[in-house]
Amino acid sequence: MGKTAYINDKLYSLQEGETILNFVRRHYGKDFVPTLCDAPNLDPYGACRVCSVDVALVKDGPAKAQASCHTPVMPGSYIYTDSERIQRLRRNIVELVLTDHPLDCLTCEVNNNCELQTVAARVGIRDVRYPAGKNHLHYEKDKSHPYMTSDFSKCINCARCVRACDEVQGELVLSMAGRGFDSHIIKSFNNTFFESDCVSCGACAQACPTSAISDVFESKSVVADKKVRTICTYCGVGCNLEVAVVNGKVKSIQAPYDAEVNQGHTCLKGRFAFSFYNHPDRLRTPQIRRNGKLEPATWDEAYDYIAGRLSDIKARFGPDAIAGISSARCTNEENYLMQKFIRAVIGTNNIDACARVCHSPTALGMQRAFGTGAATNSIVDLKYTDCIMVIGANPTDAHPVTGAKLKQFAMKGKPTIVIDPRRTELARYATHHLQLRPGTNVAMMNMLLYYIITEGLEAKEFIEQRTEGYESFKEQILKLKMEELERITGVDRHLARAAAIDYAKAPNAMSFHGLGVTEHSQGSYTVMLISDLAMITGNIGRRGVGVNPLRGQNNVQGAADMGCQPHQGAGYLNSYDPEINRMYEEFYKVKIPMGKGLKIPEMYDASIEGKLKAMWLMGEDLVQTDPNTNLVVKAMQSLDLLVVQEIFHTETCNYAHVVLPASSFLEKDGTFTNGERRIQKVQAVVEPLEGTKPDGQIMADIMNRMGYPQGDYRADTLLQEISGIVPFFAGVSWENLGDNGKQWPVLADGSDTEILHTESFKRGKGLFHYFDWKETEEIVKNGREYPYIITTNRELEHYNAGTMTRRTGNVKILTEDVLMIHPADAEKHFIEEGDMVCVESPRGKVDIKARITDEVKPGVLSTTFHFPEVLLNIITSSERDSEAMCPEYKVVAVNIRKSKGKYKVKA
Amino acid sequence: MSKNLSELSGRKGLDKNLFEELGRVAAATGTPSLEDLDKIRDEFLMGKSNVYGSVSFYDFLRPENQGKKVYVCNGSACRTAGTQEALTAKLRKHFSTQEIGEMCCLGRCHENSAFHTMGHNYSGRDADNLDTILEKKGTTAEKYQVGNTGTPVLTAPYGPVDTYYSVFREALKKDPLQLLAELKDSGLRGRGGAGFPMAFKLESCRNASDPLKFIVCNADEGDPGAYSDRYIMEERPHALLMGMLLAGYITGARYGVVYIRGEYPESVETINAAIEALQALKLLGENIDGSGFSFDFKVIKAQGAYICGEETALLSSIEGQRPEVRVRPPYPTQQGLFNKPTVVNNVETLANLPYILQYGGNAYAAIGTARSTGTKLISLDGHFNKPGIYEADMGTPLRKVIDDCGGGFRVPVKAMHIGGPLGGLVPVSCIDQLTIDFDSFAREGFLLGHASVVCIPEEYPLIDYLEHLFRFTAHESCGKCFPCRIGSTRGYEMIEKARNSDYKLDRTLLNDLLETLESGSLCALGGGLPLPVKNALKYFEAELNPYFSKP
Repeated sequence: MGKTAYINDKLYSLQEGETILNFVRRHYGKDFVPTLCDAPNLDPYGACRVCSVDVALVKDGPAKAQASCHTPVMPGSYIYTDSERIQRLRRNIVELVLTDHPLDCLTCEVNNNCELQTVAARVGIRDVRYPAGKNHLHYEKDKSHPYMTSDFSKCINCARCVRACDEVQGELVLSMAGRGFDSHIIKSFNNTFFESDCVSCGACAQACPTSAISDVFESKSVVADKKVRTICTYCGVGCNLEVAVVNGKVKSIQAPYDAEVNQGHTCLKGRFAFSFYNHPDRLRTPQIRRNGKLEPATWDEAYDYIAGRLSDIKARFGPDAIAGISSARCTNEENYLMQKFIRAVIGTNNIDACARVCHSPTALGMQRAFGTGAATNSIVDLKYTDCIMVIGANPTDAHPVTGAKLKQFAMKGKPTIVIDPRRTELARYATHHLQLRPGTNVAMMNMLLYYIITEGLEAKEFIEQRTEGYESFKEQILKLKMEELERITGVDRHLARAAAIDYAKAPNAMSFHGLGVTEHSQGSYTVMLISDLAMITGNIGRRGVGVNPLRGQNNVQGAADMGCQPHQGAGYLNSYDPEINRMYEEFYKVKIPMGKGLKIPEMYDASIEGKLKAMWLMGEDLVQTDPNTNLVVKAMQSLDLLVVQEIFHTETCNYAHVVLPASSFLEKDGTFTNGERRIQKVQAVVEPLEGTKPDGQIMADIMNRMGYPQGDYRADTLLQEISGIVPFFAGVSWENLGDNGKQWPVLADGSDTEILHTESFKRGKGLFHYFDWKETEEIVKNGREYPYIITTNRELEHYNAGTMTRRTGNVKILTEDVLMIHPADAEKHFIEEGDMVCVESPRGKVDIKARITDEVKPGVLSTTFHFPEVLLNIITSSERDSEAMCPEYKVVAVNIRKSKGKYKVKA
Repeated sequence: MSKNLSELSGRKGLDKNLFEELGRVAAATGTPSLEDLDKIRDEFLMGKSNVYGSVSFYDFLRPENQGKKVYVCNGSACRTAGTQEALTAKLRKHFSTQEIGEMCCLGRCHENSAFHTMGHNYSGRDADNLDTILEKKGTTAEKYQVGNTGTPVLTAPYGPVDTYYSVFREALKKDPLQLLAELKDSGLRGRGGAGFPMAFKLESCRNASDPLKFIVCNADEGDPGAYSDRYIMEERPHALLMGMLLAGYITGARYGVVYIRGEYPESVETINAAIEALQALKLLGENIDGSGFSFDFKVIKAQGAYICGEETALLSSIEGQRPEVRVRPPYPTQQGLFNKPTVVNNVETLANLPYILQYGGNAYAAIGTARSTGTKLISLDGHFNKPGIYEADMGTPLRKVIDDCGGGFRVPVKAMHIGGPLGGLVPVSCIDQLTIDFDSFAREGFLLGHASVVCIPEEYPLIDYLEHLFRFTAHESCGKCFPCRIGSTRGYEMIEKARNSDYKLDRTLLNDLLETLESGSLCALGGGLPLPVKNALKYFEAELNPYFSKP
């Protein structure tokens, strides 16, 4: 039985080094010992002392009161959890707390869900005997912020908020100030929430045991008809959310502590940015363009119109004149249906998804290197790794919950390498920041690979046993001249060498990458070189290692898994292979096309050339988000039929012939697959907004309308269908996904996979690839005339085109796109903070407000495209990744000048 | 305590220290500007709240400190001596009320009337000389007795510094484990109050695997009434520094940090001068004496917070964090300063090391009693005929110290507060039951602590003293644990009310409060306060009874 100790004279087995509290909870449940300052996701703190228990070395021997939360169990000791003395101690402590706490429980927002109230009731306080004295009851409520609220008259100084801000989010906005009885919580320099540096993650509010810190949605109140667990619709982290519903409306959101993905944490998008869902702007009826204007129509009219037009186009120009673009924002089941509709009903492989414009090079690159285009490991591996390398990703803004974990890692001083043209939040804390010139990733990776080889740090055994192509690869790398690559990248080669050594010498090293890797003309090459780095150091196939793309959208993994790309059908099976084609035909029970399909950029060209006549877009705002807006608009205008499924009227809807009002993620069932291949259950929280339908139901309707018998959109039956064709979904069913989902591949017996390539690679041996760095055509052609490089990024508060987040309180926190510009460049052009700057590329020009910062180097600019007011993609180019056709959003040659135009207003 | 903040602070090493930076930018006006704080927090990658929160903790950094020019000691000894009102009246002639602040114990307990101005301490009759002092022409005329009864370990003069350090040079030729064995043999227990065996700490730190370790000297002698550490720092600084070097060698630590309270400016000066002398002797830096052992010192001047004498609060203070008491485990020897293995020892403890390693652990253990080996320094306050610092073998009768060393009481005394504000209140009737050692005091329901002695004269009302103790604790509580944060203030309020109005204390409530503080507090501050209060209730029941409601 190992080591043991007694709880109330009964013998129990002990885990090595565990605290008394943990020990008692394991055997008696989490509420057996009352606590106030303890929280499930925070380190022991030992402040409230309410968790004290008596500990004796012999039965009924002299006992000492010990705070159970931080005291390790002494083997053989006798723990008494509720001795008379302990009961008195708890009561007396809570009585002291109540001498400085308003007794207004009945009108308090957390009435019946207040930990202080529960503990006070439990220990049996009947009287506060102390004479009135100093207190904090006069503290006023802080209502400055669109989401966060505080009322420190309710504060009990447990510091759970301070610790959540530090240990979970790593933001360090909250602290205690003063000392002794005067200790109190402050935000930044004793500011309001709105003035403070708060990032509104809400971790403090969720951690607070009373209503001292809360949110405008009163997420801790018990007022809810039901609580539904679902998955966040924003980024690829896949946070689990617990949504409270009142009267059929979403009231508030919290993050469940038992979620394996987010452990009680989430960001302001997941927690607070839900009010878009019943925003007045939501589309509520189908619209058909008549006489140049979108006019309301019934579903039947819309379906008839679409079916008629599609059948006509198909009859006259063939199925390849029609294309569909699916959405990484929609569920697996909806994506599956979309590609099935295009392939099985329309009869073309012209199906693509927005993964094209973000992580298509990842899928392609990793498939070539390893055989599988998905993250090799899981986020939980951060607990087991010794070094992280983050390339072209700004996770604290774009993947906030994973970003917070990475930041915690970096803050601890563990080896952290950040490769990014900007000094991102993570870069501030990193051991090495390789601040390269945009567009030189390949050169940068080659430098790292060179030094790993020249320092003799290759994992020789791993290379020999598990890879191929190494010798010729090595030969090529060793020919490189570091002085030259140093000049190209702008990164000191000594710094590159130091980073390479840290990565290679770490017992376990993980790499993470984002769109700063993929959205380049050499995006796929960089992905393969990142894979080389993992293989050359043997960092594949076990805990704490691997290549881990940070997936942008909530279901970008799933959209690709479901077959929303021309060359691969559901399950990544080669759609141009006759064998597989036969299998699909058998499964879909219709003729399935073999012809090569169009990728998104090819669709634009085909439309302009008049070859493509109709496009169907599921939740995709091409005009605002795809590069080179003028070209995209031209392509849209050239179509005979543009059908858009949307929840809001977007820029793209302006060119649609039919707009279909879809339901949001809160209104439907299904599954999303996050960046670590975790298939999780999305569960309808509220009924679809009147007049709208889930995207999947729209697909099913139109399939039926066009003669293909497809059952109604239901997550369970569709998952069953999918598991019959997608090999790595074999053991997935709606019922067995449970609360925390399953990571694919899921075997038929239901067992899932946290780590890929443990024994061998999917493709057998891992393949080394070598690539020369090549300057992008964008710079070669335009660099002389447009000497600045603008690179695009994301801000925490908004999500991509902002369609959703701009319709929430987030817009009060971040109100516009700004242009980051280095002080030296600003000075050169007489630009001051807040001036409008005209940014001009060969494609066009936009005016953006300047934010002068040394986060970027001279010569480099950076901005976002969250707001349609700027339409930044007017200036981005049609350059694309040579392999996967992912657009090069990250390197745009531009010129700048202080704007003379209409926006000449100071901030 | 935040692991992140410890780490971020540690990134700058000891050269650029966050806590010192906060003090630096506060120096001009008495509190830092927000602009300065913003620059510092950016450099250290911390939040605004962190530096603001730290600054607001310390008496000499917080905004209320702005414009203070002179500080009057409000420590226990000056209080029971009753000298501070007259002193304040004298100071008022030179300073406005707003310019006069308070400091808690300047360690001038032997002659009282203590105050601090322009970076220096004054006491006794110095106040009569204010004109000269304020013109920077005069220095303090402080004087106290130093003596011993038994073996002079700490009070013996150590002769020329270079010769004295031959103990260290010889030690460098030996295996650290051999030195550790000597230390174990000596039975040396920590002198800061807890009496923890020192060799255990060093061994635990030595066994920690981290390549970077620290020896931290707790020179935050905050107990009102105690000034023996000040004596060592100002009169025997090399005993301390050599003690730290030896501890460094034994554990493999690279740095020694001497954290000296801001109320002891002269100690900071003498220790700094002594470190310079060590540098001149080439006993610091890389590879000392070709031994492969490297060591450097850092002196940190504190900013006014009693709690920093608690070892984990002290570590957080050095890091520039709010000095709130940390939970254990992890112990400092596992994760201490900047999350690195750290030994924290009191001045007097460390100052014993040279003697032990010169004469051997057994020789040291031969002094004193079996469980309390060696000697103990005792601070006697101004109520004695011969106030000063005396060294006594452990086990020496308390009576002997009072009569032979202190020359008896100058005025009629009813009790002595021994071992600091958290020590026991010893009625004169108990003197003959006590000997100077850990066990005797514990057995009789008192505490040897740091062995400072503050007398309570016959005519001094005990209720005033109890109010002082509660106010002191309330003022100095770090505010982390609930019992101490709220309980010390509620206790103070009750006693203040009972003293100044017809409010009567509820005996059950007071007992509940004392039990809550004693068994519920996170550290010895809240946990220790009940001891002298309970002593007072026990031995001076009659005097205190009128303040209680009738049962």
